[in-house]
This record gives sequence, C-alpha cells and structure tokens, in this order.
Amino acid sequence: MGERQLLKKEATTDITEHNFSALEKALTMEGAEVVKEIKEAGLKGRGGAGFPTGLKWELALAEEADDKYLICNADEAETGTFKDRYLMENVPFKVLEGIIIAAYAVGANKGYIYIRGEYSKPIKIFTKVLKDAYDEGLLGASILDSDFNFDLRLIKGAGAYICGEETALLNSIEGKRGKSRTKPPYPIQSGLFGQPTVVNNVETLTSAREIIDLGAEEYGALGTEESKGTKLVCLSGDISKPGVYEVEFGELTIREIIEELGQGVKNDEQLKFIIPGGASTSIIPAEKMDVDYSYEAIAEIGSSLGSGAIIVLDDTHSLLDLMVNVSRFFMDETCGTCFPCKDGNKQLNYLLKKAVQKGGFTKKEIELIRSIGETIILSARCGLGQTSSNFINSIFDNYQAEVLQRGNEDAEN
Amino acid sequence: MEELSFLEKLHNLQDTYGYIPEREISNLAEEADISRAKVFGVISFYSMFYTEPTGKYIVRICDSLSCYVNDSEDLVKAVQDYLEIEDGETSKDKKFSLEVVECLGHCGEGPVMMINNKTFTQLNEKKALNILKECK
Repeated sequence: MGERQLLKKEATTDITEHNFSALEKALTMEGAEVVKEIKEAGLKGRGGAGFPTGLKWELALAEEADDKYLICNADEAETGTFKDRYLMENVPFKVLEGIIIAAYAVGANKGYIYIRGEYSKPIKIFTKVLKDAYDEGLLGASILDSDFNFDLRLIKGAGAYICGEETALLNSIEGKRGKSRTKPPYPIQSGLFGQPTVVNNVETLTSAREIIDLGAEEYGALGTEESKGTKLVCLSGDISKPGVYEVEFGELTIREIIEELGQGVKNDEQLKFIIPGGASTSIIPAEKMDVDYSYEAIAEIGSSLGSGAIIVLDDTHSLLDLMVNVSRFFMDETCGTCFPCKDGNKQLNYLLKKAVQKGGFTKKEIELIRSIGETIILSARCGLGQTSSNFINSIFDNYQAEVLQRGNEDAEN
Repeated sequence: MEELSFLEKLHNLQDTYGYIPEREISNLAEEADISRAKVFGVISFYSMFYTEPTGKYIVRICDSLSCYVNDSEDLVKAVQDYLEIEDGETSKDKKFSLEVVECLGHCGEGPVMMINNKTFTQLNEKKALNILKECK
C-alpha cells in the first residue's frame, strides 16, 4: 500500500523528453470516440465539484458555434490545495496534452490556461511550454500534421479566489470584475464571449490525458465503482510529511493516508480532525477517519472529497480561533454580488470574533450563526457562498459542547 | 487571439509603474470605450492591482489555515515589528508594503512569504528577517 503513480510519473519540463503518445493517439480517433473513452473511464472533475467530465464534454461537443473555447482552470486557491501547481511545475507537458486532447474532443478552436497571479513559477514554466509547443507544431494550425487547429493562450490571474469559480473565471478573462454569473445558461451553452465553453481543472485534464494513454478500460479498473482512477491528495497542516501524494481511489482510508503517507501528526500531538477537501468542506473528526478515500465514502459521512486538500489539525488549537480564520477567508474572498454571501460572511466573522473575546458561544448565538450560514447556502448563486459555512457548521455538529461559553447561564438557554 | 487581454494590459501597467496611474485609467477607458469608473471597478476587484504607489518590495504573508497552524501569525508579527508597518501599509521610505493575504498555494511548506514574484517557504522569524535584510 502506498502511492499509485500515474499523473506524477515521467516528470519533465523539457519538451524533447516528453512523449506525446496520448495526444498522437487521440488525433487518430474521432472527437466523439475520445469523449466516449472519458465517459467510460468515469472521470469526475478534480477541482472540487466532481461533475462528470465525459458528460460535460459530450454536451459541449453537441453545441454548434463558430468559436468554441476550452479553458484550463489553473486558478488554484482553495486553502490547502497545491496539486495543480505540482502538475504545472513537474509534468507541464501532460497538462498541455490534456488541454489539447480536450479541445480536440469537444471541437474547440481556442483556449486559455488561466493561472493564478501568485503562481510565478508555473507562469514562467507555462510561458515557455506554450512557446515550445508552437515551435514544435503542437499548437496552432494542423497540430502534429492533423487537420486540427487550436490556439492556446496564458492568462495571469490577479489575486481573487473567486476566479476559480468557472463563471467568475470567464468574466475575468473577458476583462471584467471576477463576479460569478447566474446559471443557466451554463458555460457549455454560453460561456466566454457568449460562445460554448468547457472549463476544466488542471488535474482533470491531466487525468483525461492518462485515460487516453492507458485506455478507459485499464484506467477504469483502478479505484471504486463511483470513483475511478487516481487522485492527487495535498497533505498540509499539523502533519509530519506534508506534500502531494497520488492515491488510487478506495485503496487507502483517510487514516492510512495520514499515518502511512504523511507519517502521522507532527510532534506526536493528538489528531483532532481533518478537513478532507479544503476550507469549503465539512470536517471529519479523528474517530471517523477509517473511511475509504473515495467520493462516495466521504459523501456518506457527510463531507466532500473537494479538491483533495487534506488539512490535518491536532488538538492544540483553539476551535474558536480556527473558525475565525476560516470565516475570514470567505469574508475576504466573496465577490460581493449576492448580498447574503457578502454580508453574511462578514457577520459570521464578527460573531465568531466576539465569541473568541468572551470564550465561547451561547446556544442562541450558535442558532444565529447557523441561521446566517443556512441563508448564505440557500441564496448564494455560486459554490463559494454555498460552501462557506460548511466548516463552521461541522464544528458545531461535532464539538458544540467544547465551544459553549462556560459559566454563563445564558449558555444553557 | 493577437490583441492583449484587458487583464494583461493591467498587469503590464502594474509591472511598469508599480501601480496603475490615473492617466492610464483614462487611456484604458478611452481605448475600450467604457467609463473610467468601470476600469477602476475592474482594478479594485483584484488584490494584485493598485491605484496608489506601493513600496519597491510588496511583502505578502499567507495567513490561511495551513499556514496559520504553522504559526504564520508569529511571522506576521515579527515582520510587522521589523518593518514598523501594519497589514496594508507602506513604509515611509517607500521600500516595503506589507499584506497579510489568503492562501498562496504552498500549504505544505508553511509559513510562506512572497516578496514581489518570489516565494519563500518553511520560514521562521530569523529566516524571514534575513531575507528582508537582503532587500536593498
């Protein structure tokens, strides 16, 4: 037991060392056949939402338009997530292959890779990757002497978490404020500049490349029924050996990932809980960690695999301080369009800070905080607001007794 | 695909001047045939664009969860004390601007600090101050 490396294999940033076998193979197939392979392999989006990639591609392929766009979402900014950076820095040509294969499959003629502005090294690497790829005939007209034409450009983000949300990302590429859009219409119907657009995460596209390389059957044999293939897991927080690990779905439990790959909690402290997929996901307490690492098993215990960012927390921290920290993230990063998300996250941060000052919550305050959280979830139009109170609610679900204010009679009411 | 995107233009101006001056906002507005308010609205949305001059070195320290549990707040305090400025301020000699920011994507190597385009990881107080002392 341990890592199962597909994505991480054959690392190089030198174009002459990379074997473009998957792209060559894809170009001998029909677009619809490529889509079928991805569907059969059961690939789900690796950015956090887990939408079936094959279905997205199938719908996009069916759209007819003069221009169709393929966008690689490299605006990785979910707290605890650094896997896409790993891919761009270590296997950039696999990422590129994934992008071109996806564009070919859905019939896109233009594309962008949108890399967050803070990622200077990936930006530098990809600037060269694009230049080399054009020089070698992997981008532009008649790619690898086929009749497929595809132009790809790099866009640097400028410091906004929300732009990782696909419709906000479209607005950002269009040169607007990075506000999310109301759906429908979905980007597949009306995306960038009103044209059909597929937005896929870096790891999703790189996984698609592995599927074409191996074939859907071999790739699909890895993992579980609902979660096929491999996933990059980012270990951070109170962990002895943080880093990016690649695991086969269903092969390890979360506890095994932490204890065997991450070498356990650092400084021999006691594990309290983990966050399985970044700050937008609900916590999993230590006693529930013997759960298989798969979309379905984690959903069953009330959380989400999210981006694969496992943040490990030991029992030395104040839960109240952690809640303030996470709530500040969403307060800082909301785009400000939906009023309940804009103001609600600010109010949550205010109430949590107040609780820190007085050493805990009254039951009434918990009720109020939950109610604000619920309002945001119900009314926000994008994933940011819809997930912003998961962490806080799950702390209440698991540790309410620990965060109640002591010695205050009101606390019992 | 040849023309620069709006975001690229803003990046270029930011890199050239260290901020986006008002006359350039007017130029952009005229070029794109939109109001100056709209251009300003776009600029103000993104944390890496500025409409006021910043220090020669923009110091960004991550204080999101993974860095936070690896003592990023001690690092913030040490840097604040050393530079004698608070979060969001620029030093009097215009050498440093300090920003406490959300996740920089180096969560396994926290705490983390960026100075302009360079990222420094696995920091402690001493390492960070030595790096700042090297900024001439």
